[in-house]
Amino acid sequence: MSQQFVVAPLLVAMLTAIATLVTRRFDRVQVTLSLLGGLGYLGAVAWLVSKVDPLGATEVFSYQLSGWQAPFGITLVADSLSAFMLAFSAVVALAALVFSASYVDTYGQRVSYHPLFHFMLVGVTGSFLTGDIFNLFVWFEVMLMSSYVLVVFYSGPEHTRAALHYVVLNLVGSAVMLLAIGGLYATTGTLNMADLSRRVANPAAYGLADGGIAPVLGLSALLFAVFALKAGLAPFQFWVPAAYRAAPAPVSAMLAGVVKKVGVYAIIRVYFTVFGAAALSGVSLPGFAVPDDGSALLAFYGPILFVMAAASIIVGGVGAVGRDDIDGLLAYSSIGQVGFIVLPLAIAATAPTEEIRVLGVAAALVYALNHGFAKSLLFMASGAVYDAVGSEQFPDLGGLTETAPWLSGGFFVGALALIGIPPLSGFFGKMLVFDAAGRVESWLALGVALFGAILTIAYFSRAWTRGFWGDPPLLVQHGEAKFSLVAVVVALALAIAVLGVGFDVVMRAAEAGAHAALDRQEYVEAVLGNGGGHA
Amino acid sequence: MTQYVLAAVLGVLFALGTFLVLRRDVVRVVWGVTIISQSANVYLVTMGGLSGSVPILGHGGHGGEHAVTDPLVQALVLTAIVIGFGTTAFALVLTYRVYEEHGTIDLLELGDSA
Repeated sequence: MSQQFVVAPLLVAMLTAIATLVTRRFDRVQVTLSLLGGLGYLGAVAWLVSKVDPLGATEVFSYQLSGWQAPFGITLVADSLSAFMLAFSAVVALAALVFSASYVDTYGQRVSYHPLFHFMLVGVTGSFLTGDIFNLFVWFEVMLMSSYVLVVFYSGPEHTRAALHYVVLNLVGSAVMLLAIGGLYATTGTLNMADLSRRVANPAAYGLADGGIAPVLGLSALLFAVFALKAGLAPFQFWVPAAYRAAPAPVSAMLAGVVKKVGVYAIIRVYFTVFGAAALSGVSLPGFAVPDDGSALLAFYGPILFVMAAASIIVGGVGAVGRDDIDGLLAYSSIGQVGFIVLPLAIAATAPTEEIRVLGVAAALVYALNHGFAKSLLFMASGAVYDAVGSEQFPDLGGLTETAPWLSGGFFVGALALIGIPPLSGFFGKMLVFDAAGRVESWLALGVALFGAILTIAYFSRAWTRGFWGDPPLLVQHGEAKFSLVAVVVALALAIAVLGVGFDVVMRAAEAGAHAALDRQEYVEAVLGNGGGHA
Repeated sequence: MTQYVLAAVLGVLFALGTFLVLRRDVVRVVWGVTIISQSANVYLVTMGGLSGSVPILGHGGHGGEHAVTDPLVQALVLTAIVIGFGTTAFALVLTYRVYEEHGTIDLLELGDSA
């Protein structure tokens, strides 16, 4: 199959990383190349999106690396789900790159800021596109390796300590992931996601051991812990605040806006597309009923996802209310917002009908997109404030609306988007979450979402009144926000508004993504060829 | 017989790694993480099945019931080992940097200096 465009974003990001590495000594050239690379990446992603999702008939494309046929070789797969994730990641990445161009100083550039950034992008892209579960591990490592270095970038006492926790935790996570993948390979005999999906759907036909689904369930739960760690879901959220505070602002924007979504994407892809096909029988779990239909393994994750989402919303929200610095507040808020992304997934996992299932996944995708834009905007706004004032502690701030009206305006739009005020994209995200919870009449989910929404309003109004209103102290009066930094923030704010106004397109794309996540048959056929290839 | 020995060794390795990760000394934590990821690698090799002949010599036995030892897991382990090298090196450099910044590699004291 010659569908090479699937590999295009990956190649662009990798070539840019190498080009910026080679030109490390020439600052201007490096920045120019890096920005061009960011643009090229956006272009490559746009090309891929236009092929996969030309509004209407969506298709799944697979690219078999070196022409090795699917279950044996490594496959890259582009469907509406990965296209959706890639599309907003590319926009956020470009914004972060433009921001970095003037935020990171020459010395920072010399210590390989730009190559690292692009290698992180390579890892993110690979994770979105891979159709092979071991490859997912490899791309995770590529992404994490760069993010380790970027977290410790300033290498002060705070930063080294944050990085130490982040690194050790993720290394243990990687070992656990390897264990889960090895176990899955031993029980199912394949690593290809499509093949895996086909085999767990029909275990008897592929010679899986008697009741072979039970070990798959356990191993997939082990894998789930790793994805939850990457996504920063409670109870695996404790590395988030320190790491986000330590990293440079555009990197925090990427970590919260994009890298976290890789964990969310992995949860959707692996549990809805791959393991969702498995029927569970002979496994009884104390405490809740396992329905006896086609997607019982998925239903097992429903309550787990729900508890984690609810805990994240509460821990993140309550934590954010008590913070005394912008970055800390944003980091805790991002724990809470990931809860909002996962909450509709929990509903989708146990949903009685296909319609609600699609709605739930689509809600998660819309919310992920909104959080990707809004949170990266807020982190960059916080970076611009730090750049101008030299502090992002609330006691040192105040009156920014007077000295930096555009920057404050951008922050305000980002906060409103996360709170969910129409016509910003956040409103629809929240509405869909409530809608999904309402359709299954889950009052508990509605209550948690409402509580989380109120907490969001509480901590953002607190940030707004303490940081942006009032009389500007001396520090703020003398600080001047850099034009290029503010421009990025304002551009992202405009993007959020445009997405909210033209929400039809976003919703269609999200629904296509949700269909792609749930349509296992199409995925399997696209990867393994018609008829499912080798039996 | 090999299976039992390997299972026991794996168990001991994991236990040792976990024990070290829970120490206060950062260098020991890094050692612990390294041992855990190495034991994950060993575990990965065993997942291909231990019976059967050498993968290359016994080539052509696709699909047969454990006719050959699965060569794929060995490719996986190679990848994992390379990644492990990189991360271990980085973790050690980071440990040194932590020592430079804080003057200690005791995790309790690191926590106190917040």
